[in-house]
Amino acid sequence: MKPIEKVVTAADLQMLPPISPAASKVLKLLDDPKADAVAIQRVIQYDPGLTANVLKAANSPYFGFRQETLSLRSAVVRLGSRWLHQVVVASFAKAAMEQDVPGYDLPAGELWRHAVGVSVASDRLVALLGVSVADEIFTAALLHDIGKIVLGQKVGSDVQRIEAATAAGVSFEAAERAVLGLDHAAAGACLLEAWALPQQLVDVVRWHHQPEDAERQSLVLDIVHLADVVCLMLGIGTGRDGLCYRPSTGAMKRLQLKVSDLEAVAAETPLGLEELLAGLNAA
Amino acid sequence: MTNTVIGVGGMAVGRVGDTLVTYALGSCLGLTLYDPETRVGGLLHALLPQSKINPEKARDNPAMFVNTGVPSLFLAVYELGGVKERLVVKAAGCGAPLGAGTMFNTGDRNYTVLKKILWKNNVLLDAEDVGGSKARTVTLDLTTGKVTISSGGERREL
Ligand SMILES: [Fe+2]
Ligand SMILES: [Fe+2]
Repeated sequence: MKPIEKVVTAADLQMLPPISPAASKVLKLLDDPKADAVAIQRVIQYDPGLTANVLKAANSPYFGFRQETLSLRSAVVRLGSRWLHQVVVASFAKAAMEQDVPGYDLPAGELWRHAVGVSVASDRLVALLGVSVADEIFTAALLHDIGKIVLGQKVGSDVQRIEAATAAGVSFEAAERAVLGLDHAAAGACLLEAWALPQQLVDVVRWHHQPEDAERQSLVLDIVHLADVVCLMLGIGTGRDGLCYRPSTGAMKRLQLKVSDLEAVAAETPLGLEELLAGLNAA
Repeated sequence: MTNTVIGVGGMAVGRVGDTLVTYALGSCLGLTLYDPETRVGGLLHALLPQSKINPEKARDNPAMFVNTGVPSLFLAVYELGGVKERLVVKAAGCGAPLGAGTMFNTGDRNYTVLKKILWKNNVLLDAEDVGGSKARTVTLDLTTGKVTISSGGERREL
């Protein structure tokens, strides 16, 4: 990743809120089969903001709980790994992802809306496939386009050159590479690396538009890729890039999905999106 | 005088003074109807061509599907005083990602189903801006009947 480091500087990373050490540690513990709720709670309790978010989420009607939770530990158990992933990511990334991204024509709220949409569509795809995947898929889904924040601020008038390339049939991320030297997927992967998030997550973000080019193929990568395609076809949080991406028929084949499967997921995504947005807003 | 935003799988009607808008149509269909005499009209944002993929959802919300949403929109506009013969009908959206092939061509199929329904009912499209890989925002001004498409910083009247 040499050339990328030249383009995404330490100063760029500082424009984004740093991930709290506690959030980073919790995301790692959630991927560690040996870590239990007690270990996770011990990390969360040193971060007052994260503690408040976890407690609020555990009491949110969205997550289906009625009784007031009193302790952080029971909140962690209640939420479980699947929701904890999303609440933790929201706690450090939501504020930045809710800002507008002027270079890419994303009004305030749209990048976050897209992220949550991809999380919902990933969840529906997992259910439809009947496979079991690590819950870190939700972290990958929520963060996959975070690199747009960095590039959207740097792009300036270069966006016209990107647009000229896409008008000629080049996919948006390939046009970003040609004009800026890197695409938003690589910029995002850089951020996740700087935040010391697990390598598998970095890889999913890095290759979300080119699953075939990843060193290791993975179920999570294929699912996030197709969930992203569903959301861009639905116009959920699309900006200047619109539909200018090349979906992978390979991913469809590897997952043995039919067109009707993708459309069934599309039918369920808008409502699920509104529900999860409300749930994460309450947290 | 209201400005109504229509979400994915939504539909709304209104009268003179009102504005209807729907954001970022990808492969979805945006359909506008307008009666210039009674100055009433409506806007539909349908996701998918056929309701058979989820009949239950179609019952709850016919606007999700082209085959159920288009008739619903016409009926809702008739109810407000729109007359079929006078309606100005315009379509937008139905885009596709690059190299969509047969796996990601929902937009094309949305358009085909629309054309079939209109043809069966002797209705002609007065204007359209469909296909391609841009996301489109559609606004219908019910005072003037003007339909505006904005896409990637450009605006034009349809
Ligand atoms: Fe992306
Ligand atoms: Fe995306």
